[in-house]
Amino acid sequence: MPDGLRPLLDRRLVVVTGKGGTGKTTVAAALALAAAARGRRVLVVETGRDENVPRLLGHGPGPVGYAGALTPCGAWAMRMEPYAALSEYLRLQLGVPGLVTRVLEQPGFRGLLDAAPGWRELVTLGKVWHLEQAREGGRPRFDWIVVDAPATGHGLTLLDVPRVVGSAIRSGPLRRHAGWVEELVRDPARTLLLPVALGEELPARETVELVTRLRGQVGVALDRVIVNAVEPAPFPAELPDLDRRLAALPATPGPSPGVWSACAAHLAARHELNRHFSDEIGEHTALPVVELPLLASGVRTPEDLAVLARSLFAGEAA
Amino acid sequence: MSTRPASVATLLARRVIACVGAGGVGKTTLAAALGLGAARRGRRVLVLTIDPARRLADALGVGTLGPEPSPISRELLNRLGVPPAGELSAMMLDMKRTFDELVMRFAPDRAARERILANRIYQHVSDALAGSAEYSAMEKVFEMSARPEFDLVVLDTPPSAHALDFLEAPERLIGMLDSRLVQLLLHPASSVGRLGLRWFQRGAHQAFALIERITGFGFLEDISEFLLAFEGMSEGFRKRAQGVRALLFGPDTAFVLAATPSGESVSHARDLLARLEGHGANVVGVVANRVRSWPGATPPLPTAEEHGAWRNELARAFALANAGDFPSEAAAVAALRVLDGYAAAVARDRQATAPLMAEAERRGCFVRCIPELARDIHDLDGLADIERRLFDDEQEKT
Repeated sequence: MPDGLRPLLDRRLVVVTGKGGTGKTTVAAALALAAAARGRRVLVVETGRDENVPRLLGHGPGPVGYAGALTPCGAWAMRMEPYAALSEYLRLQLGVPGLVTRVLEQPGFRGLLDAAPGWRELVTLGKVWHLEQAREGGRPRFDWIVVDAPATGHGLTLLDVPRVVGSAIRSGPLRRHAGWVEELVRDPARTLLLPVALGEELPARETVELVTRLRGQVGVALDRVIVNAVEPAPFPAELPDLDRRLAALPATPGPSPGVWSACAAHLAARHELNRHFSDEIGEHTALPVVELPLLASGVRTPEDLAVLARSLFAGEAA
Repeated sequence: MSTRPASVATLLARRVIACVGAGGVGKTTLAAALGLGAARRGRRVLVLTIDPARRLADALGVGTLGPEPSPISRELLNRLGVPPAGELSAMMLDMKRTFDELVMRFAPDRAARERILANRIYQHVSDALAGSAEYSAMEKVFEMSARPEFDLVVLDTPPSAHALDFLEAPERLIGMLDSRLVQLLLHPASSVGRLGLRWFQRGAHQAFALIERITGFGFLEDISEFLLAFEGMSEGFRKRAQGVRALLFGPDTAFVLAATPSGESVSHARDLLARLEGHGANVVGVVANRVRSWPGATPPLPTAEEHGAWRNELARAFALANAGDFPSEAAAVAALRVLDGYAAAVARDRQATAPLMAEAERRGCFVRCIPELARDIHDLDGLADIERRLFDDEQEKT
């Protein structure tokens, strides 16, 4: 863990994004698990079509949906549903639930919404803003909110939409509300964007491009990059050529020396590849890199998440 | 449902091969390897890609891919075993500029074109207009597949939050223009038949009033101006969309689905497989990418009881083969840890991909497992290796 980083829990809102397949959802779930273990009231918001976070946090097979649910590990989880969020927003704004329902149920209006751009992102962030503001018993309803945002391209659109709406709409409450959301996204005291990458060529390049565009376009705070699934060093430091030593043995129990050595060489090469591109990401973004280990059996249980959380929160008080 | 699995060779008879799958599953490499395989079998192939690995593009001598096909040199093709009849070109799809091109092409006249491009809403939303980038990509495939210099177009599909956006995009755009609400916004007096007019208009006015209350005055005006300008394009647009659809879901197009061995990727792929077939797409193959596997047959592995004996045997072998100060005990422990870790990874990947492979076989698709390679595919040997594994008939029997 690089020194001098502000603790992750200092910001109220952490938005996780990155190229598809890098493990954003796993990282979001690991963050939530660790924050809950530290006694925080934490909420994970999943923005995809599927629900993967609740299962990772030990929730049963039923969906948590837009209403959300408390998972067995102590973190809350919900799935963003743009239509539900829009309906909630309009009810709050207009105070005429019957009218809102009638309009939203019109097939014509649905057809227009299906093709209209931007509103999904806007209501998604609007709902997050609303949750960030929510209070219960004299204190914030959630201490910490983790958003499992869409993959890179759509993730950028998500964060940029309040600004775009602000400039496309001339007046009215929506413009004002978009301004509040934009303020939250750009406030380094409240919001942190956490890019998740892999130590491979394409994800590394895409991450560098993402960081560049976020700095130039969105103005959201970034202070580290997560590089996920880094193959651990397979050999102890004092045995750097273990694969060659294996290959040189006359006989081995079980697999032949050649097969045994090939497996060792494969893991060593993956380790080097991951480390190489992890370093490239650090160099080209000028950001500290936090590496998470690849778990050979995959990430399936809260115990697996706890292993990743240890790396994510290394150097922070337990 | 067919019982005999499709053969990889059926791909060669198509005009379009579309590689689909979630982001990060290796679609670009798959598209390049399928293109190479077809060229090696005498086809003139164009690979349309979104985001090529820079070093792969460099290796192919097409480092600066543009919006026009770049042919790969004859010299390289010879080295790759492509016969004289075969050709391979690559082209980059620029997802950002293509929508402007559509407007240029379909706007009825210069004034309409400029009205659209200058519209406040268009400037902000053309990138985000539902499926517009995906639609533009499909347009390009249609255009390229009609060119006489190519027998086959291999498409690396756009990254998309929902992998089907690109197939559904044309209908959604046209659906919006056709919707009664939009028609009423555009032509308040004439668009709706007399029957139910009053009822519909009341509903629509409620909707408009609601939008206005939230967005403030002027927004609807901008929107309707945008849609009105757009409407003039819709006839040409609709015709093209129908052509694109007929090509993609007709017999000339084959879909190959890629996935990686994680639970998330596999469930996404199974969902995509079912939905593609629901659309009438010909999904002919499923490729599991980066599957960790043994070099050769599965070797004998230690049971829990055998662990100690294996460690002692290894330590003895290390001590005999190395100098006296070599840490034989530590080497034996490390070697066993490597083997255990590798075996766990192989078992996990096999377990993760099994449901997808079974599903694909049940649907009569060909199935391929590409092992995880120690390095990224960034040179010709790596690409040729993947191509061999894809077109390997031995795998077809297993």
